[in-house]
Amino acid sequence: MLKTLAILRRELIAYFSSPLAYMVLTGFLLLQGGIFYLVLAFLNNPMAQAMAPMEAFFGGTIFFWLFLLFVVPVITMRLIAEERKTGTLEILLTSPVTEAQVILGKFLAAWVFYTALWLPTALYVVILRRYSEIDFGPVLAGYLGVLLVGFLFLGVGTFASTLTSNHLIAAILAFVGLVALFAVPLVEQLLVSDSLFKAALGHMDLWAHMEDYAMGIVDTRHVVYEVSVGLLFLFLATRSLELKKGR
Amino acid sequence: MIEVENLTKVFVDTPAVDDVTFFVPEGQVLGFLGPNGAGKTTAMRMLTTYLRPTAGTIRVADINADDDPVALRRNIGYLPENVPLYGEMRVDEYLRFRSDLEEIPHRHQGSRIDDVVDRCLLGDVRRQVIGTLSKGFRQRVGLAGALIHQPQVLILDEPTVGLDPNQIIRIQELLIELGRDHTVLLSTHILSEVEAVCDRVLIINKGRIVADGTPDGLRSRMAGRATIDVVFKNAPEDRALVALESLSGVLGVSAPGDGRFCLECDGEGEPQESIFRLAVENDWPILEMSPGKASLEDVFVRLTTDELADSAEEA
Repeated sequence: MLKTLAILRRELIAYFSSPLAYMVLTGFLLLQGGIFYLVLAFLNNPMAQAMAPMEAFFGGTIFFWLFLLFVVPVITMRLIAEERKTGTLEILLTSPVTEAQVILGKFLAAWVFYTALWLPTALYVVILRRYSEIDFGPVLAGYLGVLLVGFLFLGVGTFASTLTSNHLIAAILAFVGLVALFAVPLVEQLLVSDSLFKAALGHMDLWAHMEDYAMGIVDTRHVVYEVSVGLLFLFLATRSLELKKGR
Repeated sequence: MIEVENLTKVFVDTPAVDDVTFFVPEGQVLGFLGPNGAGKTTAMRMLTTYLRPTAGTIRVADINADDDPVALRRNIGYLPENVPLYGEMRVDEYLRFRSDLEEIPHRHQGSRIDDVVDRCLLGDVRRQVIGTLSKGFRQRVGLAGALIHQPQVLILDEPTVGLDPNQIIRIQELLIELGRDHTVLLSTHILSEVEAVCDRVLIINKGRIVADGTPDGLRSRMAGRATIDVVFKNAPEDRALVALESLSGVLGVSAPGDGRFCLECDGEGEPQESIFRLAVENDWPILEMSPGKASLEDVFVRLTTDELADSAEEA
């Protein structure tokens, strides 16, 4: 556990000593601020459907997903690929550390960074609180959803990063994987017959999951889906590291 | 202590390491010598469990690599080729990170770091960012990292490559000192390094061990073939060549120029005497005459050049 923490800490040092972290943070905040403004402007229109602002912010727009699909690969691309490229992976994997500890430490660092990205958006809640009543339940559930979807997406990204020593390829692989996961409901809509397969795909609709979280519904089925698929990819990442370490 | 039996690694279908067996007793400094691509790095990566062997067994400090690779890694300090480091970290941050990975308890970390910083002469750069250090310092930071947990066995892949002569001497001094209380396996293609540092040499070529012995022992394998360098004043080169070649016991002569002649002799008798008489007869004053010593270079070149390597194996 201590070794996992050491890897996590080192990874955070690496994040915050590169300009990339600040670029991502700045870009993310600028864009999220813009979206928040648009959401408020939209809801101020008397014709608009009544909706809590944070609900729309988390679950209502495609922008939420666009950010995640682009930001997550950028966060995870260097995790293992960088170590493989510089050769430090050799030092890491010849010290008394297991592959699982390496993956876990790296993944947690990415998750911490991802959480740090979202942290400033809590200010929006503070601002809203000044002008209106806020039901904190759905807001908290929305943030839980953000963390859980992040868990799943960062797992996929971590796995992609074990496959190559090239950042760009790692990012593209992660992006393709995430788009595929995200596009599942589109496939579901194309299926006509009510099959078990269609029902299964229906449970994998991340957009619908996020809408539920944003409304304050924490459905355990959703939680189990995000956590288990995230863990599956972390397991795959560990296996991939074991198999590919020497090459 | 390192025990390696029938170690083989095959990449696709070319063997990089081919049925290698050797034993390094505790406290020995073993030099792994070989041309580039001989399989040194591959062998070392297998010893550190970074690569999985195709066949064969590895035991380090009585731990079998197949049984418990993590325990084996606890007993080795490894410095990979080209010394990979995290450029964005400070030296002491990096050493603390390595201590964490090596499970050194927090209360001992401070003194362990002080100790390796002292040994590797890193006092002046302790707070520097690794990316800004010179190659020599980076090498020492890498070594310090490999030493942090006081491993029984040190495995160093070309620890002096890319350094200037002063830095090489400093690292070699450190290696000699480390050899006093560690089992060391180091790879290199600098022969003087082997002579300076190692108790024993393994020459490896094309994945196979072609020679195994002390640096002196390997040199004496070349004995029986003595060489003599002689420099004459005012000797016409063509005449002197013919005259020297006709002396008894001389197998061959070459003339690199400036009146210098290099004689290869069969090692019997004292050709110096007849060289002296020849010089007197022809009035070629001798400016210099010295017995050449077969160097490890010669052994290395002979054993790692193709056809000679084959004949050495047969012998």
